[in-house]
Amino acid sequence: MSALFSKLLRSPRRSLALLVLPPVLWLFFFLVLPYLSLFVQSLLASDELGNVVLRPTTDHYRDLFTRPLYRSTLIYTFEMAAIVTTLTVLLSVPLAYVIAFKVTRYKELVYTLIIVPLWVSYIVRAYAWKIILGRAGILNTFLVYVGVVDKPVEAFLYSQAAVVIGLVHIFTPFVLMPIYSAFEHIPRPLLEASKDLGAGRFTTFRRIVLPLALPGIIAGGTFAFVLTLGDFLAVMLLGGPDTLMISNVVQNLFGTSDDRPLGSAIGIVMLILVLLILEATARAERAFGGTSSGERRIGGVKT
Amino acid sequence: MKLVKWCLWLGVLLSTILLIACSKEEKPASAAAPGASEKPAAADPKTKFKGKTLNLLVWEGYADPQFTKGFEDEYGVTIKGTYFGSSDELVAKLKGSGSVYDVVSPSSDVATTLVQSSLVAPLDTAKITSYGDLAPALRDMKDAEKDGKSYGVPFTWGPDYLIYDADVIKEEPKSWNAFFDPKYKGKVSLWDDISNIYLMGQVLGFDKTDPAALYNMTDEQLAQVKKKLVELKPQVRKYWATAGELNDLFKNKEVALAVGWPLTVATLNKEGRNLKAVIPEEGATGWIDRLMISAGSQNKELAELYLDYATRPKTMAKVAEATNYNIANSKAGEHMSADLKKIYVTDAEVYFKRLNFWRHVKNRKGYNELWNEVKGAK
Repeated sequence: MSALFSKLLRSPRRSLALLVLPPVLWLFFFLVLPYLSLFVQSLLASDELGNVVLRPTTDHYRDLFTRPLYRSTLIYTFEMAAIVTTLTVLLSVPLAYVIAFKVTRYKELVYTLIIVPLWVSYIVRAYAWKIILGRAGILNTFLVYVGVVDKPVEAFLYSQAAVVIGLVHIFTPFVLMPIYSAFEHIPRPLLEASKDLGAGRFTTFRRIVLPLALPGIIAGGTFAFVLTLGDFLAVMLLGGPDTLMISNVVQNLFGTSDDRPLGSAIGIVMLILVLLILEATARAERAFGGTSSGERRIGGVKT
Repeated sequence: MKLVKWCLWLGVLLSTILLIACSKEEKPASAAAPGASEKPAAADPKTKFKGKTLNLLVWEGYADPQFTKGFEDEYGVTIKGTYFGSSDELVAKLKGSGSVYDVVSPSSDVATTLVQSSLVAPLDTAKITSYGDLAPALRDMKDAEKDGKSYGVPFTWGPDYLIYDADVIKEEPKSWNAFFDPKYKGKVSLWDDISNIYLMGQVLGFDKTDPAALYNMTDEQLAQVKKKLVELKPQVRKYWATAGELNDLFKNKEVALAVGWPLTVATLNKEGRNLKAVIPEEGATGWIDRLMISAGSQNKELAELYLDYATRPKTMAKVAEATNYNIANSKAGEHMSADLKKIYVTDAEVYFKRLNFWRHVKNRKGYNELWNEVKGAK
């Protein structure tokens, strides 16, 4: 055995192969294979009792695109993703800017404070929002006490607003991190040069900081967008009767409705859509790339 | 590139084999089932199972220590309960990991599905001491039988009540139409389940001549039900997924009116709330829950002992106390206080006739799709 190993290891190509083999097998069995079986399953029929039977069919894909339930839910999910992305980016950019450029002492502490929520379970945080937003929750009790409203606002919880609030809160750290790191990597001399040339704070932000941080903003926005597309827990815990998203439908098809082929078909379509989004944003990030390459643009001007 | 292509083909092949294996797997398991339960008891059952764990996959409340503890003490075993939130979830879970669970508690709407899909094991009713005492109306139902063999013992039954918070709603709602009352806008909660379709069918009067009609609606009737359920949406605060969630909704005063089970009323009133439950004039749908042994169970003998234990009069009395559900063994009355006996034994018979019990729905897929469409309607 050991002789065999040493022989194998002696050849550089083989040792490389040995090194690469475990992750390749891992990816094959736990990523490629599951996706492929999902794909195969999406093309099979199921019987009355919900069992998958070996009869090829493309009905599920046809249903997906013709039935209003799936189409309108998909559109709604994309709308939600757009709303959540916009809000998280609008929240993260100023926050990251302040941490990167304005906070001088305890910078790491402030950054850690933003990241800390990630250590708390998603479900716990969603439940916390239930306590805050409920009819007899903290927010409503406060508003009624202060006299802003005369009876509790129902729309806070079990509504689209609640889902958006929950998701924005949960995804903000994911969006903030790449944006903050992009701000941190902007060479400070560029900012000084901008000031020397007479640009005000806002102009510097608009012409220098923002364009240079754009790849980070796109990366962060992509996180929020893609994570929202796949989320079902926020809808389950905070959503109301009108907030069904596509992942809830998938969860339902694999669980209660027990129609795995149709669920797989939605999974495959979502996978393709997400891959397309990732490809598009990766291209966008490259197009607005950083300062290192002479080929690329700085501050919107070709160098 | 060639290698990648080859790998992909191999993957497609493998996953197809995997899927075939999965769909075939269920049959041999059920074929082995009767053999396993016929094995003679080699040792004294009181000590034989010491240290084992019996896994229940049941409705909320059916693994309550109030009545499971007696079994644990008697046989020195541990009972572990997993709850499911809807009948379909039970079917899906059992299909996915049937060998993990020993005892399941399907309702009358999926009993046939479980039996026909061979997800549960046939039962030797001679081993169940109290079998003869169980209510004949429940015991003799044909939906959990195959080839002359019985697959389950009746356990409990009850209604899908109209539950209301008597502190908010002073006057008892007489009809399910209270759900549509603008006064209660945003204060209604429905169960996230296809049983709403049966319920709306009942509200629309489809079961006037034939109770089975609710479980076998025509496309036109389904369209009417859908319209009604979509119409109800603005009234609904939240579709509850588990009994625990409905408890929270009432507890936090999010809702005042809901479809629910006696368990919710029992739990919250113990905490000092004032919930009331009624069967409105249209009637109510109801469920009959059985205990069955999963086909993949590794502890069939112990599971059988549990079924025997659970249907004993003494246990049944405790079940009624813990869940406030009606029970299958009326002899339990001997172990109850006079008040409880009146509720669970004497009154129960009248009450049984007022419920339209869930049945096997042939078009379950269609019902499920309709319910999803209602939830997805904007």
